[in-house]
Amino acid sequence: MLKIAAVILLCAVACNADCGTLQRLKVKSQWSEAFGFSTDREAFGTALWKAIFAQAPEARDLFKRVHGEDVHSPDFQAHSMRVMSGLDQCISLLDDEATLNAQLAHLNGQHDDRQIPSNYYDVFGEALFQVVPAQLGRCFDSDAWHACFDVIAQGIKA
Amino acid sequence: MKILAFLALVALFAYAHADCMCSADDIKVVLENWESVWGAGFTGKRVAIMQAVFADLFAHHAEAEELFTRVNVAHPDSPEFKAHCVRIGNGLDMALNELADPATLDSALHHLADQHARREGVRHAHFMFMEDSFDRVLPQVIPHFNHDAWDSCYEKIAEGISSGLPA
Repeated sequence: MLKIAAVILLCAVACNADCGTLQRLKVKSQWSEAFGFSTDREAFGTALWKAIFAQAPEARDLFKRVHGEDVHSPDFQAHSMRVMSGLDQCISLLDDEATLNAQLAHLNGQHDDRQIPSNYYDVFGEALFQVVPAQLGRCFDSDAWHACFDVIAQGIKA
Repeated sequence: MKILAFLALVALFAYAHADCMCSADDIKVVLENWESVWGAGFTGKRVAIMQAVFADLFAHHAEAEELFTRVNVAHPDSPEFKAHCVRIGNGLDMALNELADPATLDSALHHLADQHARREGVRHAHFMFMEDSFDRVLPQVIPHFNHDAWDSCYEKIAEGISSGLPA
């Protein structure tokens, strides 16, 4: 009985993992591996947006200005790389909290007047948790990613 | 006559090389050089390198400093300026990684050109000054830094962003 309680407790701790120092380091290194270079990076970005629009097709309307109807168009690809690069900035700063907060405040200002429904940040996260493991395979640390993505998303939509 | 032929040859050689600016081989070398210090694993490197680039820029062109008052340039170790450093470096990182996809690069450079055109006082020459600063800083952190490949690809990106700006 005690053993079961201990296992349940352990799971509760693991399942509600914080975005602590070690988790931040792991997410940073897993991201840099998944992010890749050049045309591989573009393909990774395309996969992310396909996963986003598959969950929330109506979200395409937010991206009319950058040709969201065609994820392969140059304007949308360039937009995709801007977003990925913004995420890359945040992840790379996970272990420099003061600078991270300055960057999140900057991104918060950029997203302020775009009227983005709050649940789209969850959609983005879900898409990320699909395409990053597709790049990394089994070593993807789901708990660390959930906890640390939450820190970034909260900062942008705060 | 021999001299003329020689000059013609030199001109032809120069033309052929100008034509090969930022070739596929150059892109490969530049990305290998750059990503060895810019991967997301390296927060400290990113900030330190861009702080050094800006410090070098201001040491040679003090008047450029006033363009960055909005991001607290007076305190280069402030979170605001460090975040700015990461944004600038990441803008370049993004363009470097789009070099192999010209249509996407073109769209991205147009977007960056618009962003810079809105900033009062930014001139085409500033992008050339930045090139000199990168050329002085990057060899200090990147072993076997290839100047020729870097310059040819950097200039392609810088021209796309700054060609419409005042000289």
